[in-house]
Amino acid sequence: MSRFASGSRRVLSLALGVLGFVAVAAYGQTPPVNANAKALADFRTRIDAYAALHKKLEATLPALSKESTPQQIVGHQDNLAGLIAKERIAAKQGDLFTPAMQTMVRELMKQAFAHGDAKLLRASIMDENPGPVKLTINGKYPDTVPLTTMPTEVLKGLPPLPEGLEYRFVGETLILLDPHAHIIADFVPNALPKA
Amino acid sequence: MRRLTVVLLASAVSVGLIIGCQSLPGATPPPSETVTVAEQKPASPPTALPNRDGSLKFGVLGDFGTGSREQYQLAEQMVALHKRFPYELVALVGDNLYGSERPRDFETKFERPYKALLDANVKFYAALGNHDDAELQMNYKPFNMDGKHYYTFKAPKQDVRFFILESTYMNPEQVKWIEQELANSKEDWKIVYFHHPLYSSGNRHGSDVTLRETLEPLFIKYNVSIVLTGHDHLYERIKPQKGITHFLVGSGGQLRAGGSEPGLPFSAKIVDNIQVFMVAEIFENEMTFNAISRTGAIVDSGIVVRRELNAGVK
Repeated sequence: MSRFASGSRRVLSLALGVLGFVAVAAYGQTPPVNANAKALADFRTRIDAYAALHKKLEATLPALSKESTPQQIVGHQDNLAGLIAKERIAAKQGDLFTPAMQTMVRELMKQAFAHGDAKLLRASIMDENPGPVKLTINGKYPDTVPLTTMPTEVLKGLPPLPEGLEYRFVGETLILLDPHAHIIADFVPNALPKA
Repeated sequence: MRRLTVVLLASAVSVGLIIGCQSLPGATPPPSETVTVAEQKPASPPTALPNRDGSLKFGVLGDFGTGSREQYQLAEQMVALHKRFPYELVALVGDNLYGSERPRDFETKFERPYKALLDANVKFYAALGNHDDAELQMNYKPFNMDGKHYYTFKAPKQDVRFFILESTYMNPEQVKWIEQELANSKEDWKIVYFHHPLYSSGNRHGSDVTLRETLEPLFIKYNVSIVLTGHDHLYERIKPQKGITHFLVGSGGQLRAGGSEPGLPFSAKIVDNIQVFMVAEIFENEMTFNAISRTGAIVDSGIVVRRELNAGVK
């Protein structure tokens, strides 16, 4: 029951739709490798590398047991966050979501909203949405701030993620949250389609 | 194909009436404050919990972990009731800890108020809400989540299975999982719980229609009898929707002024001005329920008859 949503037909068709649009628009001068396909493949490589790093660092910590106390669990989370921040000390916004991928994410979100009831989807995401806050890569997602709801229609429209990463919204920014460490790995500003 | 039969016996609506009824095993001394409910119906005695040997007895609690005086008062009612009505598990419908989630918070917002129940080996099974840190709570032993975002377990008595979802992150994988689990379940009673309500009169949040569109067809198809949720800070019983009875029990901690919009067609009962938990007892084909306030008043009660096995599958 990982976060890895394999075989999502919807995201595939949406991604192909975007790719098709781009391919048609550029007909006659299509490069050998479609730019969006490259962005998607590049994103996959980057998030897989992040997931591998996460796994490697977590393996250096004492494993949690079924008997772990809150102190041990919280300590584990804090230690993992510290290790990741140390290892990714130079990380900046756009390292995982490259500019090309950010453009694609915004387009995928538009597609997802076009397929669903945009008003309802937006209402669901904005329910207890913490609103615009300063986001920092490797920064702790505050435990006093609620998490936005991510509707199925929206998650179907985004590329699947490996274990240890999930999508959330903060205001209209789509963040990549590392829920084990409770830190922000990257984000895409203005990802939520306008009402 | 027989449709769901629901027998909802009349609701208790006034403190005086409730005090007059001594049938509840855990009934407490007369409450000191007035309880009003949003829906006023002709007064009638609350339905007593049968308290039978061999029945499944369980509690439902949501949106509770504030550490407030009111949370502790409600917890005292839960403890008092347990002495006479020994429920064996509590379904937590999310927002289990508000604010910070440091080790001390687990103590003040959960372990201390429910200590007597934990000591009595009452099992709490948590669903995650939007205020919950998944990583911390999934690994917190007293929440019995076994490191999982969503899971299922068979009740220790009667033919009942619970399915627990993470409604803030309903990814396609989870939807596939719940469909498989519901399809594979042979139990007479299927009870699903999660945080966001499919139906709610709450002004703050209201019904999550997108979630309803995803989940309700599965619940109908696979014969779910009961759905338990929270999120809006009130207690609400929903009239059976497509054969399924919904309870919203987001009333375990902090309330919000003007919490609900009365008169919505799906609503059967709303209590939005006092903390409430719910207890239920399943014996064979019936589930008897009471909703109890932090002053000990029974603010809602009734009986739900389960959907016939496989009635929804065709």
